[in-house]
Amino acid sequence: MKQRRRVVITGMGVITPLGHNVPDLYQSQIDGRSGVGPIEFFDARSFPTNFAAHVKNFDLATALPNGAQWSFCGLNTQYALAAGRQALDDAGLLDNPRIDPENIGVYLGSGEGGHDFKSLVESVARATPENSHSPDARAFFQNSRRNFNGRHEYEMEMHTTTGRLAEAFNLQGPNMTCQTACAASSQAIGEATEVIRHGDADLMLSGGAHSMIHPFGVSGFNRLTALSTRRDNPQGASRPFDLHRDGFVLGEGSGIVVLEELEHAKKRGATIYAEMTGYGTTADSFRVTDSHPEGRGAIAAIRNALLDSELPNEAIGYVNAHGTSTKVNDAAETVALKVVFGDYAYKLPISSTKSMLGHLICAAGVVELIISITAMRKGILPPTINYENPDPICDLDYIPNEARPKKFDHFISNSFGFGGQNISLVASRFSR
Amino acid sequence: MATQQRRAVITGLGIFSPIGMDADSFWKSIVEGRSGIRPIKHMDVSEFPCRIAGDVPEFTDKFAREIFKHNRDHAKSLKMMARTVQLGVSVAQTAMVNSGIAKSGVDPTRVAVEFGAAIVHTEIEDIARASKIATNCQPGAIDMKIWGEKSLEEIPPLWMLKYLPNMPACHVSIMHDIQGPSNTITVGDASSVLALGEAFRIMQRNLVDFVLVGGTESKINPLNFVRQMLFQPVTPSHNDSPATAVRPFDRDRDGMVLGEGAAAFGIEELEHARKRNATIFAEVCGFASGFDRDRQGKTLARVIRKALADAGITPADVDHINAHGMGTQESDRWEANAIREVFGQSVPVWGLKGFFGALGPASGVIEMLGSILALRHGVLPPMLNCENPDPELNLNVHSRESRAIQKPYVVKINFSDLGQVGAIVLRRWDS
Repeated sequence: MKQRRRVVITGMGVITPLGHNVPDLYQSQIDGRSGVGPIEFFDARSFPTNFAAHVKNFDLATALPNGAQWSFCGLNTQYALAAGRQALDDAGLLDNPRIDPENIGVYLGSGEGGHDFKSLVESVARATPENSHSPDARAFFQNSRRNFNGRHEYEMEMHTTTGRLAEAFNLQGPNMTCQTACAASSQAIGEATEVIRHGDADLMLSGGAHSMIHPFGVSGFNRLTALSTRRDNPQGASRPFDLHRDGFVLGEGSGIVVLEELEHAKKRGATIYAEMTGYGTTADSFRVTDSHPEGRGAIAAIRNALLDSELPNEAIGYVNAHGTSTKVNDAAETVALKVVFGDYAYKLPISSTKSMLGHLICAAGVVELIISITAMRKGILPPTINYENPDPICDLDYIPNEARPKKFDHFISNSFGFGGQNISLVASRFSR
Repeated sequence: MATQQRRAVITGLGIFSPIGMDADSFWKSIVEGRSGIRPIKHMDVSEFPCRIAGDVPEFTDKFAREIFKHNRDHAKSLKMMARTVQLGVSVAQTAMVNSGIAKSGVDPTRVAVEFGAAIVHTEIEDIARASKIATNCQPGAIDMKIWGEKSLEEIPPLWMLKYLPNMPACHVSIMHDIQGPSNTITVGDASSVLALGEAFRIMQRNLVDFVLVGGTESKINPLNFVRQMLFQPVTPSHNDSPATAVRPFDRDRDGMVLGEGAAAFGIEELEHARKRNATIFAEVCGFASGFDRDRQGKTLARVIRKALADAGITPADVDHINAHGMGTQESDRWEANAIREVFGQSVPVWGLKGFFGALGPASGVIEMLGSILALRHGVLPPMLNCENPDPELNLNVHSRESRAIQKPYVVKINFSDLGQVGAIVLRRWDS
């Protein structure tokens, strides 16, 4: 066994389209419920995609004490603050005088705060002469200085989410944010695990937050043809591995875990949910628009994670797939799993919880990790819902449509980000 | 901690800055005391209190295409990149060539890329038609139905990919067949110091033999500029005297200036570098980070101490501190508290923002290059514009005349305006 500090998870918190705490979220997964509905943040009637998985009934004032004081923050930061507080509370670390604030840091994979679409579009339009493509810069400046709100614009900056978390909960340890799209929160968790393994801190809050269900987000993804346009069946649109899959469904939210050095956790009698046993991180080096068709980077990431965990392939009892419901990803991920696991791939239950939650972009990885940890503790695997038409090139066991009891001690969670960043995490039932 | 740490050295350099488009011209500008802060010419900023910036006018489309003249596909791909991304990939190209690593036959799965970056704002041209069509120019009147039906088609299909902050790292990994870890650190002005720190750790845990570390920013496109003007503490009083505008630790300092630029280093495992006779510019020996919640310097001091301990040295071993040196009243006071706490007056403080302004996520790598070159040349030229060091800060500011490098180590500090702080320890390399 490797001689190194061990890292465990001692707290978890979520704000998601299917629950604002871990038990509710997990129950929704076992019930196979979809969090998808019409887009509500703006009038998306005439967009190719007019549906998404919104966080519902989120009230900052009830999500944290004195919550209203953070209402100036971007929605992504608000979600992170709420999920962060849950995780700290869960871990027994809220206002805990025995914890040294210098010994607890935060590493998130999080996206930008909300755009002020209306102000920007109006400012640009008014500065653009008729029949022209070129706005006049000075006119744009005059308009935007009037329209933009400085405080709101500041909270768009990417370091504000970890910054506000560190302010709110007095976290003075290592503080990092990464932005590797769909891989971000998994990458943050992997790197934060390494921060603790190295000895730079004993405690790290990690995970991510994102809220992209706004006109620029949906426009951008629609232009890339990345989103499903199944307008006649929004709840059936996210159908990972299904033959008729046509793109992902945008979600939003946050997940935060407390990562802790094992001896530190034992000394204070913390509840241990799972151990982080493996981390693999690679780049595809292929194209920014598509993942490598043979899954080269994904294969390496999964293999590296397994090597890091020192577990044999057959020890893995479940794979929480990246499973975005795009033609390309689901095929490439299937190939990768077959290459890594060989014949065992056909015995391995695999599911994509994006079928229910949609794609939380930066926050996807952490939420999927939390669901998987809970599945390992409860012994019931979440399904891939909307699985109706088998795809001959995706012929593995995706736990179609119904949750399945299974006892297992180790799982893999994959996250493959736009641009070719591949992250694979191995987590295990804690044993001495 | 690992008992046998792998050592990390810098074996490749590249820079595009307001004071030089390569290491030699960058150094020359510092030695000659020449600032690259100028009146903004590329757009009409007469609206704004601060109308100067540290820009890089030599970085044109033509210049960038020249960098990639050896590969038509790479040159073509520049078209789908925002300026910030172009700066990043172009400087990475020069650093990779400078390092010679490609010729060494290194295993691509043992090469990583770590970039510091920030939000990349859209060129307003890209959304102009879309905005015009959907707006009837009355207040509160954006027609979202028209946006979905007609405006969307006016937005370039790859628009989102033009502006994602992880695109510099992703394009670099594609261009150079980098198959190891790829990460993009987005912590404001602390980004590239933190990216280098993470690269150092990845190297130490034997995941890679080479990491391309970079930082890039261009805060002077219209949308980014107007946003920054809303919340950055810019100086309003130097529009006619841009060269003296940014005055780190000076009694009369009154604000920062925006800018653009990019730099990249190749970080390589020492034995790997030796085996291929690579030119070694400096060694990376220590790293620490934290969050200075009160913004008064307490955590910054602790992080500096942690970085020194990580490098196995004490303040007495440090030749100079390469400071964040923002040039605002508040930020310099915050930093001075920390420097005094760790070093007292015993180590000179050297801040380069007087030459080019605050370059966001590119600051760390660009400013660090100054010290790397100082260590190599054996001389520390004076910094700009600290003519009357603020007595309240009580620092030993290196602003009068050149002196020889006296000790082997340098501490580099950067921090975000919110409190994220990072410190790197560099060591002179004696060949």
